[in-house]
Amino acid sequence: MWPGGDPDGFRTVVRMAQGSGAARRWALVTGLVAVLVALPVVIGAWPAPDADRSAAELRAAALSSTDVDFSGYAESAGGLALPATDQLGSVADLFSSRTRMRVWWRGPADNRVDVLTPAGETDVHQDTDGRWTWDFEADRAVRDVSAGGLALPAAGDLLPTTLARRLLSEARPAELSRAGADRVAGRDALALRVVPADAAASVARVDVWVDAGSGLPLQVQVWGKGAGRPAVDTRFLDVALGDPGAAVTAFAPPADARVRAGSGDDVLDEAGRRLSSVSFPGTLAGLPRRTVAGAPPAVGLYGRGVTLLAVVPLPYGVAVDLSRAAAADPDAVRDQLGVRLTAGPLGILLAGDSGVPAYLLTGTVTTDALAQAARALPGLAAA
Amino acid sequence: MIAVELRKLFRRPRTWATIGVLNALPIVVAVLLAVTDLAPRPGQGPAFLSAVLTNGALFPLAALGIVLPLFLPIAVAVVAGDSVAGEAQAGTLRYLLARPAGRTRLLVGKLVAVLVFVLVTVLIVAAVGFLLGTTLFQAQPLAGTSVSGTTLTAGQLAGRTALAIGYVVVSMCGVAAFALFFSTLTDSPLGATLGALAVLIASSLLLTLDAAAPIAPYLPTRYWLAFVDLFRDPILWRDVSRGLGLQGVYVGVLLAASWANFATKDVKS
Repeated sequence: MWPGGDPDGFRTVVRMAQGSGAARRWALVTGLVAVLVALPVVIGAWPAPDADRSAAELRAAALSSTDVDFSGYAESAGGLALPATDQLGSVADLFSSRTRMRVWWRGPADNRVDVLTPAGETDVHQDTDGRWTWDFEADRAVRDVSAGGLALPAAGDLLPTTLARRLLSEARPAELSRAGADRVAGRDALALRVVPADAAASVARVDVWVDAGSGLPLQVQVWGKGAGRPAVDTRFLDVALGDPGAAVTAFAPPADARVRAGSGDDVLDEAGRRLSSVSFPGTLAGLPRRTVAGAPPAVGLYGRGVTLLAVVPLPYGVAVDLSRAAAADPDAVRDQLGVRLTAGPLGILLAGDSGVPAYLLTGTVTTDALAQAARALPGLAAA
Repeated sequence: MIAVELRKLFRRPRTWATIGVLNALPIVVAVLLAVTDLAPRPGQGPAFLSAVLTNGALFPLAALGIVLPLFLPIAVAVVAGDSVAGEAQAGTLRYLLARPAGRTRLLVGKLVAVLVFVLVTVLIVAAVGFLLGTTLFQAQPLAGTSVSGTTLTAGQLAGRTALAIGYVVVSMCGVAAFALFFSTLTDSPLGATLGALAVLIASSLLLTLDAAAPIAPYLPTRYWLAFVDLFRDPILWRDVSRGLGLQGVYVGVLLAASWANFATKDVKS
C-alpha cells in the first residue's frame, strides 16, 4: 500500500514513471534520427588530403590519362538555358538539364557511354571503325563510321574526363593554378584551376578535380563571370579503376531492332551547303582565327581553350527565322548592332542592320567582345 | 501473433476488393492497347509500356509501373493506416492488448502482415499482367532484350523480374511504416491513411523541383523507379542498393517512433 494511503498520489507517480519512460524512448528515437541525419554531413565535411603537386604536373597527368581503363557513373548538371530549336533540341537539353551517364572505358577507340533516362537509355559504343548508337525507347541501333572531326556535342562530351581534357588541352601554363583538394566519387582529388587570360573571355574560371592516383579528371565546373553557380558541373559519383572487359563495350544489335546506317550530322552538312563564304579577318575581338577539321569552311572560328567565338554568315531565310525567334525571347536586348542573348557564359549576337541580321556570332565571350567582333566583319564595319 | 494478424487481414472482403481494384487499371490499359494497337510514344507513359506491343512478356513490369506511382501506395496506406487505428475505432484494441503478447510484438506483427499483403498484391498484379501480356500481345517468352540492347535468356528475364517484384515490395515498406506510425497516433484510420499519402505526395512533388536536389536522396519515393535499373546490362545497382537502404532506415526510424509512442499510450478503446 502507498504510504499515507493516498490513491491519487500513487496514480500521479505511476503516470510520471510512464511519462519518463516515454520521454526516454522518444529521446532514443530522436538521437537515432540525429545520428542518421548527421552521418552524410560528417562524411561530406571530412577533409581530403592535399598533395604537393604542381598545376602543370596535374594537367599533364589529366591529358595523358586517356589510356587509364575505368568504369563509372557520372552526373552532369547544366545551368545554360539555351533557346530550344527542333534540330538542336538534344544539344540544348544537354546544357540545361541533369544528365545521368554510365561509362566503361578501355581507351579512346574502345569505350561505351550510356545516357540514362527514367525508363530507358541511349548508349554509344565506340570501336576502332566507328560507333553504334543504341536507343532503347525507339528500339533502334544506328551505325556510324564517321572518321571523327567536328560533331555536334553529345552526352559523352560532358563526361568529366572528356570535358576536362578538352578544356585543359589548350590552357597556357600561366593560366593554371592549384585550388586545394576534395573528395570526389570517394577518391582523393586534387583541384586545378584555369583562369582564361583573354580579355574577351566570359568564363571566369574552370575548376578540374584530378584523381591523385590515376590522373583521371573526376569533376569539372565551368563558372561564368559574376555567376552564382556553375554553368556546367559534371562529376563522377562512382569510379572503379581497371579493365571493365571487352564484353561490356562490344555491341551487336538485337535481332528485332531496327538497324540503320548513320547519316552524319545533318545540321553541320546543311550548314556547309547553304552558307555563303565570306572572307573573315585574321583576328576578331583580339582572338586569332583557327581551323577545325570537319567544320564548314564558311564558318569563322576564333579563339583558344575555353574562349571561343564562332561567326556564321546567315542566308536570308534562316536570318528571318532566327531574328523572329530571338525577338520572342523576353531577355533579348536590341541595339543598333542587332539582337543580343546570353545564356550563362555563352553569348549570342544576331548582327546586321535593316532588321534582317547578316551574321550569327556566338561563343564564350563577353557581350562587349561580341559587339567589337561584329563591327570588324565585312559589310558591317559602318554600323 | 503474425499468423493471427495475417488470418484477420486476408479474411476481410475489403482486402480482396482492394487487390481487385488494383488489377483493374492494368487490365483496362492492356485491353485498350490490344484493341487500338497504339502504344505510348517512346519515353512517354509508364515504364516498359511502349515495348509491350512487341513483347507481351514485359507486361508484368508495365503493370507494376502503372500501379507503382499511386494505386499501390494508396492500397498500402489504407491497409497499414487501418492496422492500429482501425482496432481502436472498432473498440477492439484493448482486447488485443489484453493478450500477453506485448505491444511491441503487436506492432511488428501488424507491420509484417501489411508487408505480406504488399507481396501478395504485387505477385497478383504481376501474374495477371503476365496472363494479359501473353494472351493479348505477341509474347517472346523464350528471350528478351535488356534496356541496354543485349539479349537476356528466359532464365535471366525471369530472375530479373523476380528481383524487380522484390524491389517494389521493399519500396512499399516506407509507406507502410509511415501509415503504421500515424495509425498509432490517432484513432481514425482515415487520418492515418491520409497522413501517409500526404507524405508521399509531398515527396513526389519535391522530387520535381531542382531547388530540392540537396534533400532528394532522402525522400521516401526517390528510388521507387529504380527497378528499371535491374533491366540494364550490366545491372546498375547504385540506385537499387540506395533504395533498399533508404527504406530500411525509414522502417527502422518509424517503427522506433511507433514503439516510443505506442508502448505507453493510454488505450481507452
